[in-house]
Amino acid sequence: MRLVKKECIAMLLAGGQGSRLGVLTQKIAKPSVPFGGKYRIIDFPLSNCVNSGIDTIGVLTQYQPLLLNSYIGDGKSWDLDRMNGGIQILPPYQRVDDSEWYSGTANAIYQNMDFIDQYNPEYVLILSGDHIYKMDYSLMLQYHKEKNADCTISVIDVPVKEASRFGILSSNDEGRIVDFEEKPKNPKSTKASMGIYIFNWDKLKKYLKLDEKNPESTKDFGKDVIPLMLESGEKLYSYEFLGYWKDVGTIESLWQANMDLLDENVFDLSKDWTIYSRHAEMPPHYISQNSTVRNCIISEGAVIYGDVENSIIFSGVKIGENAVVKDSVIMADVEIQENTIINNSIIDEAVNIGPDLKIGNPIEKNNGITVVPRDSIINND
Amino acid sequence: MNALGIIFSDMQDWSMTELASHRSVAAIPYGGRYRLIDFPLANMVNSGVDKVCIITKSNYKSLMEHVGSGKDWDLSRKKGGILIFPPYAVGENHGLFHGRLDALKRVLEYISSSSEKYVILSDSDMIYNINYKDVIAYHVEKKADITALYIRTDIDRNTSTHKIIYGFDEDNRANDVLVYPITSGTYNVGLNTWIMNKEFLEALIYDAIARNYSDFSIDVLTRKVKSIKIYGFEYNGYFAHIDSLQSYYDNSMGLLKKENLDSLFYSNIGPIYTKTKDSAPTKYCKDASVKNSLIASGCTIEGTVENSIIFRGVRIGKGAVVKNSIVISHGNIGENAKLDSIVLDTHAYVTNNRVLLGNSNCPFFIKRYSIV
Repeated sequence: MRLVKKECIAMLLAGGQGSRLGVLTQKIAKPSVPFGGKYRIIDFPLSNCVNSGIDTIGVLTQYQPLLLNSYIGDGKSWDLDRMNGGIQILPPYQRVDDSEWYSGTANAIYQNMDFIDQYNPEYVLILSGDHIYKMDYSLMLQYHKEKNADCTISVIDVPVKEASRFGILSSNDEGRIVDFEEKPKNPKSTKASMGIYIFNWDKLKKYLKLDEKNPESTKDFGKDVIPLMLESGEKLYSYEFLGYWKDVGTIESLWQANMDLLDENVFDLSKDWTIYSRHAEMPPHYISQNSTVRNCIISEGAVIYGDVENSIIFSGVKIGENAVVKDSVIMADVEIQENTIINNSIIDEAVNIGPDLKIGNPIEKNNGITVVPRDSIINND
Repeated sequence: MNALGIIFSDMQDWSMTELASHRSVAAIPYGGRYRLIDFPLANMVNSGVDKVCIITKSNYKSLMEHVGSGKDWDLSRKKGGILIFPPYAVGENHGLFHGRLDALKRVLEYISSSSEKYVILSDSDMIYNINYKDVIAYHVEKKADITALYIRTDIDRNTSTHKIIYGFDEDNRANDVLVYPITSGTYNVGLNTWIMNKEFLEALIYDAIARNYSDFSIDVLTRKVKSIKIYGFEYNGYFAHIDSLQSYYDNSMGLLKKENLDSLFYSNIGPIYTKTKDSAPTKYCKDASVKNSLIASGCTIEGTVENSIIFRGVRIGKGAVVKNSIVISHGNIGENAKLDSIVLDTHAYVTNNRVLLGNSNCPFFIKRYSIV
C-alpha cells in the first residue's frame, strides 16, 4: 500500500502513567483523564491538530491503554477517520532482532520511525497528552519554516518559582535557542518548554539514531535529544505561545484548570476553536424546581435536584434532593444521593455516593482536594 | 434485523405551518437538541434496522443537513445505511406525490431490490419509543398482512382530524379504520407506523398502480380492512403527536415531567441519537437562576429560566427572565428581556428589555432569524 505524502504529521506521546495524579490514573492513562464537563485531556492536542490542518496523527500508547483505545476508536469524533492518514494508535511491537517497551519519549518515536517514513513528511510535530490549551500549530510551523529551523520548541512564560519544574531555555534576540536545561535547580530564564516540538524529519531521524547508540542516554527529548542537537550546532528556535496553557499533571493543577473554565476571561471553550470529543448520546440536562445552580458548568444528561456552586458537572451525573456540590469536579455518570454534601473534591467517573454523607472539606479550610476513585461505592456503613 | 425502514418526512403538511414553514416536519427541533426525525430513526437503529430510507417532499434542506451521511445514527454503512429520497419522478409520476402510496410507487425499485423480509413504514410527527423486534414477532405470530401500531388514548374533536382510528375484534384484528374523523372519546389511535412483509407491500404497490390509488390510509387500510388481515399492536409508553403549534408546545412542556423524561430518554430501549455539534457544556454564571428546565449544551445562562426548554447554543443575558418558553438553538435573549409562553425559533434575537407574552393555551411564535 502506498501512502500519500504529508507535509507534517503529528506524534502524540500518550504512554505516560501520570503518577502524580494518583488514583485518577491507576486504571487509565493520563491523556484519557476526563476534563471540563465532557472532554478528556487528549481531546485538546487532537482538536488542535485538526483545527490546524494536521490530519495524520500517531498516538503512542503504553501504560493502561484500553480506555484510550476505545475512546479514540476510528477517530471519527475528531474527523480523523480519513482516507489517507487519520489517527493511528501505536503501541510497542515485536521485531525480529529486538522488542522492548518504550523506554523514553525519544525512544518511542525512534521505534516508530517506519510509521513516520510511510508518509515521507518534511516535518514532525511532537505532542504530549498532559496539557490543556488551544493552539494553532500551523502558525508554529510557519514560524519554523520562516526561521529555517531544524527544531522549534514552543515556550511559555512561567512564574520564577515554578520554573524548576520545566525544561527552561534561553534564546537570543532572533529566537535562536542558546541554552536548554531540563528541570534546572537555578533556572536562567522563565521560558518553559511546553513539550511541543516541530522537527525537520531528516534531522530528527539522524539524532534519534545517534541518541539510541548512546548507552548513557535516558532517551528523552528534553534530557537527551534537544541538548545533543544544541551541542552539535543545529538551528533550534523558540516559539513563544501567549494563550492559556495548563499542565494538568497534578491533582491541584487538574482541579484548578477545571475551575479556570468558570471564568470565561481565563479560558473559554465555547468560542471558535472547537474542542471535539467523543461523548455519550444524552438528552439535555434537567434542573429541578428546587435546585440552585450558580457559577458552574453542566453537561448533557445530568439530572440536578440539589444545589451546585462553583463546580464542573459532567454528563449523566445525578444529584439528589438537598445534596450540595461546591468547588468540585464531578465526572461522568456519578450519582450523588440526597442530603449529601460535597466540597472541594474530584469525584471520578461512575462513583455512587449514598445519602446524608459529607465528602471533602470546605475550600476555606485549606485542607486540600479530596479524590474519590472511579467506580467507588460510598455508603454510610 | 431483517427489516427495511421507510420514514416519511412530512405527510402532514396541513398543519405546523409555523415551525415547518422552512423545514420538513421531520426537521422540526424537539426536546432541547433533537429533530423529530431522530425519534423514528432511534427506534429503527435501536431495533437493529440498518437500512433506512427517508422520503421527503419539500423544504428538505435542513433535514438533509441534519441526517448527512447517517454516521451519527451509525447508519453510514457499506451494506444498507441511510438514503434520502427527495421528490422523485418515475414514468408518468411527475410532480409531488399525493399520499404515502403514491410516494411508495416511486421508490418501488428501491424496495424491490432490498433483500430484507419485512418493511417498517413510519411517519415523523409521532414520537414514541419502541423496539420493533417485539412488533415483528407479533406480526409473524398473527400471520398478519399489516401490523399497525396504536395507543389507546383520549382524543377530542380538535385533534381527531389528524389521526387514524382503529376498531379491533377480540383477537385484535382490525374491523374498522377511520381516517381523520371528527370525534372525541377514548380510541385506538394509530401511531402511523405499519409493519408488513416486503412482498405484501410490493403487491399493494402494484395494485395501487393498476387502480390509481395514492392514499395508504384510505385506499389500503379503510378500503381493504375486511379483505386483508390488519392486526393492532398496542403501545403504551411515551407518546406525543406533533400536529400543531399548540401540541408542539404542550408536548414539549410535558418533557419537564420526570416520568416523560425517563420514559423517552432513559428507557432500556436505547438512546435517542442526533447530529453531533461538539458544543461546550453549558455555563451558568453567578447570577443565574434555573428551575424546572431542560437545557442543552453550548448555552450561556446569566439570567433566570423557569419551566422552559433551552436548545443548544442559546445565550440568556443578565436580568433576562424566560418562563414557560421554548428557545430553539442559537436564540439570544438580551439583558432584562422577559419571555413568557413563547416559542422562539432558531437564531432569533430578542433585544434588551423587550417583553414578550404568550399564553400556555396560545403560545406566541417568533420566526427564525427574527430580531425583536
